[in-house]
Parts: sequence; structure tokens; C-alpha cells
Amino acid sequence: MPTSSLDVFQVIGDPSRRKMLMLLSTDSMTINSLADNFDMSRPAVSKHVKILYNAGFISIEDVGRERYCTLQKDGFDELQKWLQYFDQFWASRLKKLETLLNNKPN
Amino acid sequence: MSKSIKQQFFFAHPPQAVWDYLTNADLMQLWLMKTDFQPILGFDFQFTTKPIPSMELDGIFNCKVLEITPFKKLAYSWKGGPGNGEVTLDTVVTWQLEATAKGTELYLEQSGFGKLEHVTIYNAMSGGWAGNVQKIIDRLNAAQHADIIA
Repeated sequence: MPTSSLDVFQVIGDPSRRKMLMLLSTDSMTINSLADNFDMSRPAVSKHVKILYNAGFISIEDVGRERYCTLQKDGFDELQKWLQYFDQFWASRLKKLETLLNNKPN
Repeated sequence: MSKSIKQQFFFAHPPQAVWDYLTNADLMQLWLMKTDFQPILGFDFQFTTKPIPSMELDGIFNCKVLEITPFKKLAYSWKGGPGNGEVTLDTVVTWQLEATAKGTELYLEQSGFGKLEHVTIYNAMSGGWAGNVQKIIDRLNAAQHADIIA
């Protein structure tokens, strides 16, 4: 199966790839330092990294002789933005509703 | 599976009074937004407000009544986008009212935030992933098989 055809569930359905994402959630890492955390061959690690890259979960940057992997956080940031906006939206609207109810002639 | 907003609010008024403001279009627009809401299950309606450029929303929210139990519970879908037909916000708003000795406890939940893949990673990061996502994977697999059989 070509790696590009994996859907998001297949991509993170693999325990090694989930572990890679979690390792990268704290900081960028080189492929070599990522590989130190796994009991598998370097080409096998590279294959997983490529799958994560193709799915848009990470970016890869060459620095000198090392390849650095970084978690793509855009999706998370976007999510936080929505949550924050609507949390404030409802809090202010409900405050307004309270004022209306309190001033309602009975 | 998805991220949601939950709020709880107390009103020193009976549920019937609060319910009016949740379900009467004229009263709803006083505190929420202009709307053509009608308290009918399955009814399609809109909330309209000024465009919200910071969120890339055109200010028109397309909604449908999903559940309605007078004075107790109301749920509707709440979808929005930048105005080109694309839906970037696909959520469900649920109101629950609870009568108390002194008034009404109102519970609000807006759920469904985040594209599925983002939420999935988000959950993976916070460690809560294993059970839920496996269930979804199983369900998707089952659905695929069902398609093949059909």
C-alpha cells in the first residue's frame, strides 16, 4: 500500500507513530534521536516519519546533516481559537439574558 | 470524540420563563441573535449577525432543531463558514433546564468543535485516545465492510 493513501486513522492507528507524535509534542527532534526511542531499524523509523509527514502531522527540516521533525500544531491552534471565541460568546450572551429576565415586568 | 464548551448558569426565574427566551424568536434576538427559529423538531432556521472576520465567519449560522422537550431540553445544530458555502464550524448546541427551589439551572453545551483528525491527534496527545478512537476505527471498518457487502 503506498503511504500516501493512508487515512488519518491508519496513520495514527499505529502505536509507534502515536508514540512519535507524543515525543514530538514537547519539542522538535532529529530522526536519529527519535529512532533512539524505538527498538526498530533506522529505515523502519524513516518510513513511519514519512507517513506522518505525508499525512501533514509533522514537518521535516534539514539542518546540516540532521533532519528535524516538528509537530504541525496549526490544527490544534485553530481548535483553541474556536473554543475560546464561543466560550466568551456564550458567557456574555447569558449575562445579557439574565439582565433581561431580571428586568422583565411580571 | 470532539471538544466542547460547557457552561452552567443560574437564573432566579422558573424554567417556563427561561424557556420562552430560548424558544421564542422575538425574545431570542434580544439576547442572542436575530433568528427565524420555530420550536418544531426538524425545523431548519438561521441565526444572523454581523460578519465575524477574526473567525472567518460570515455571520449566518444554519441550524436545525434536533431535539425539543418543552421546559427541559433543546438541541440544535449550529453551522457556519466564511460565506462561500464551506462549513468551517459544525457544532451542536444543547440546552438543558433544571428546576430548582430558587429558580432554574441552565446547562449549555456546544459540541463538535474541531475537524475529526485534529481532535483525534489532540486526544492522542492528552492520552485519552486509545479507547475512543479504537471504537471509531472499528466502526469505520465495519461500515466499509457493510458497503462491500451491500
